Amino acid sequence: MIPFVAVVSLRNQESRTFRLWIPLFLIWLVLLPLVILLSPFIFLACLICRVNPFRGVGVMWQILTALTDTELELEHRSAGMSFHIF
Amino acid sequence: MSEHRRQILQMLAEGKISADEAERLISAMEQPAASSAPDVSAPSAVRPRPKYLRVLVDSEDDGGHDGPTKVNVRVPMQLLRAGVRLAGLIPAPALSRANSAMQEQGIPIDLSQIKPENLEELVEHLNDLTVDVDQKDANTKVKVRVFCE
Repeated sequence: MIPFVAVVSLRNQESRTFRLWIPLFLIWLVLLPLVILLSPFIFLACLICRVNPFRGVGVMWQILTALTDTELELEHRSAGMSFHIF
Repeated sequence: MSEHRRQILQMLAEGKISADEAERLISAMEQPAASSAPDVSAPSAVRPRPKYLRVLVDSEDDGGHDGPTKVNVRVPMQLLRAGVRLAGLIPAPALSRANSAMQEQGIPIDLSQIKPENLEELVEHLNDLTVDVDQKDANTKVKVRVFCE
């Protein structure tokens, strides 16, 4: 399943936490028509680079779906940051 | 590596137990395991495949300049698989240039040999992977753990 939401959390020196929820599904909705419009150029670029375009699209889709559950957390005395993809 | 063994090594790394105590615990743990070794091959004993690769870094700054730093990274195994498949799309001329650049840096890895089939094998064996690095300098203590879960 493709990721739907990303959460970025930032903490500053005063322990104030700023949390940002990024609705990825809206980004996908915006990007989808753009990708469809650009698909001939993507196809052409794949042919120039001698890459099977269908295989390329397949791998890109796999990467997109595999991003779900990725987690990154950095904690320091003065600041902290975390990034979760759901 | 089993969870019990990992816990014992963790306790040893944290200084909670001595090396002798750790050795005794591990040998005591291996005793029943050896007697029940045939059960390991049973289908019920097959451990589930790891879903994530986790990297934990815990740095303590004793000098008090920067303070402690913690890093926690969880990468889905599917992302690693997809990454290798993406590497499979790299055109041959670019791959050979990347290989030669890595050889110059002293990294003898042939990227053209990394294939999804090989990765499946690697992922199977990653289940037992645990890398523990414990570094102590004059001012800093760094602990790094890489494992699959």
